[in-house]
Amino acid sequence: MSEPRDLIDRAVRSLRQPVEMDPAARRRLVATLREAPAPRIGPVRRAWRWLARPRPVMVSPLTAVAAAAAIAIVALARPVGDGANPDQVDTPLASATNAEGAAANGSELAGAADSSGIRFSLVAPGASRVALVGDFNDWNPGEHLLRPSVTEYGVWEIWVPLEPGRHVYSFFIDGRQWIPDPVAARAVGGSVSAPSSVILVGERSS
Amino acid sequence: MTDAAIVRRVLDGDSDAYAILVDRYYDRYARFAVHMLGNREDAEEALQDAFLRAYRALPRYEERERFGAWLFRMLVNRCRTTAVRRRRREKMFPSGELALLSASVQPDVEDSAWREELTRALAVLPAEQREAFLLKHVEDLSYEEMAELTGAGVSALKMRVKRACSRLRELLQEEHSVGTT
Repeated sequence: MSEPRDLIDRAVRSLRQPVEMDPAARRRLVATLREAPAPRIGPVRRAWRWLARPRPVMVSPLTAVAAAAAIAIVALARPVGDGANPDQVDTPLASATNAEGAAANGSELAGAADSSGIRFSLVAPGASRVALVGDFNDWNPGEHLLRPSVTEYGVWEIWVPLEPGRHVYSFFIDGRQWIPDPVAARAVGGSVSAPSSVILVGERSS
Repeated sequence: MTDAAIVRRVLDGDSDAYAILVDRYYDRYARFAVHMLGNREDAEEALQDAFLRAYRALPRYEERERFGAWLFRMLVNRCRTTAVRRRRREKMFPSGELALLSASVQPDVEDSAWREELTRALAVLPAEQREAFLLKHVEDLSYEEMAELTGAGVSALKMRVKRACSRLRELLQEEHSVGTT
């Protein structure tokens, strides 16, 4: 009789064997795909993909040194504080008017809140329930539940009106897992022991 | 040709190039779907759904993610949906399908009685334990990859795998002792 450990090893070996499928099923799939509308991509998204696509760039050491020198010269020559608005230095995001863009684009700090609030989003295709918890709702996981996005696969989202100021928050998945916002600044210290993120909301710019 | 290059070809209008990705991933992912769902018909349905959804969603595919991982995530979700739909429709694993699944495993590797025991034991596991066990031990994913794929935490997944192994061991021992007495 096999030992218990051997049984699991044997089961894993068996389960790793290839599974034979009906070849007709794959043919049906390919036929269905042929009838499906071809995926289309808009010119803006196409241009963005082209720009964002990583690719090797050949640069000679001489060119690299020259480029570094040029960047250093530009940085050193930049006037410091010249023409800067003191208000903007103190509240660097006060001029942002599109809170959705700032939050959704992965900036660690969101901009001014408007009537629709701040958009919080998280990619969690396997989750069945995602809550937004933070100091603005007393870390209550029942108050702000995210909804699956209708346009982005696996993305959960919610719009929350927030008062101007600094807020600490996190996502709470399926009632057991804390996840800080992966695209926002992490909160350091404070009274919350769970991993959490920080968002700064500016005054309305209108 | 890389997966990303094939996706670019499809998006540039060469729709037939997607068949290359189907060939590349169909059999590899069929194994997970069959073991997760317990029969080939449901597995085929889940695979077809996953490939079709991925095809339609190609414009949203970001090249920084591996295409295979992106597709597999869709398949895991389709398997969950298919399983829920089937549970509503009928009791899981009707007796007639066990033989079908056993026959789908390549012959000359394991004896059919063992395969049947294993299929039966796997079917008894709760779906989330079965999923975690297959992802960890059969698909060989790390716990971090599993967490990203399923949305569950690493500690929860470790617990599921541990429980799945214990339960599977018990079930296989029972079957084994029944079979040898």
